[in-house]
Amino acid sequence: MRESRFWALSMLAAVVMLVVLTAHMAVMHLSPLVGVSLETTRSFAAVLDRARSGVQTWGYYLLLAAALYHGLYGLRGVILELPVGRAGARAVTVILALVGLIAFGYGAYVVAETARLAASGI
Amino acid sequence: MRPEVGARAGGRLGPKGWVYAGKYSFERYLYTLHRVTGVGLVLYLLLHIYETGLRLRGEVPWEGLMRLFTAPVFKVGEFLVFAGFAFHALNGIRLLLTEFGFFLGRPSQPIYPYSTSVRRHRPLSYVLMFAAAVFIVLGGFGIFS
Repeated sequence: MRESRFWALSMLAAVVMLVVLTAHMAVMHLSPLVGVSLETTRSFAAVLDRARSGVQTWGYYLLLAAALYHGLYGLRGVILELPVGRAGARAVTVILALVGLIAFGYGAYVVAETARLAASGI
Repeated sequence: MRPEVGARAGGRLGPKGWVYAGKYSFERYLYTLHRVTGVGLVLYLLLHIYETGLRLRGEVPWEGLMRLFTAPVFKVGEFLVFAGFAFHALNGIRLLLTEFGFFLGRPSQPIYPYSTSVRRHRPLSYVLMFAAAVFIVLGGFGIFS
């Protein structure tokens, strides 16, 4: 894939995050402004309650993918401004791609397991 | 960069250039802060994914972790993450808009007094940074209340 397409995908991820990450941050950090304490929002019961919603579960998959791609692509851009050379640049790209895949795999597993726990009625 | 600034620093600004670089524009500082917050947020994201996974150990460990996060040091950390997010998101909107040519005005002849695309979109920069400040204050109320 050409570099410009990686960049365009990063811009798309940014737009996605403006919606889903803003919603996540508002729920997780601003709930006291509407009278719901942070302790209530982050309780185990509330976590499972949110996980019962298919929209929220898929929203988390989307957020995970968009945030990891945008973040690690941006980090790659910063690192590649250093004089790392061609082989170094390739190594940075491969390492960050692996980090992204592992983090996405683990994060998606957590989201799926939480949804499964919620559905089982615990 | 003004010549005397570079001369005073022995021709190189070094880390001082991060906070004061002479004649850099407002947007140059936004660029620096965008990078700092971006790197901070991606490192936090990896920690956050790991920390979120601890919920799979059950209710008691999860509630214990959430209690730990009510300690002042974590509250301050949470506020910094929120502030970094608010700034990065709103400055990101500016970057997206200008990347696609909005708020830059039409190209014109370089006739004095010069009108640059950076100056033409500066009101947008001020509005978005004001909005970021409002969100950061709201975040402070939410997190420390």
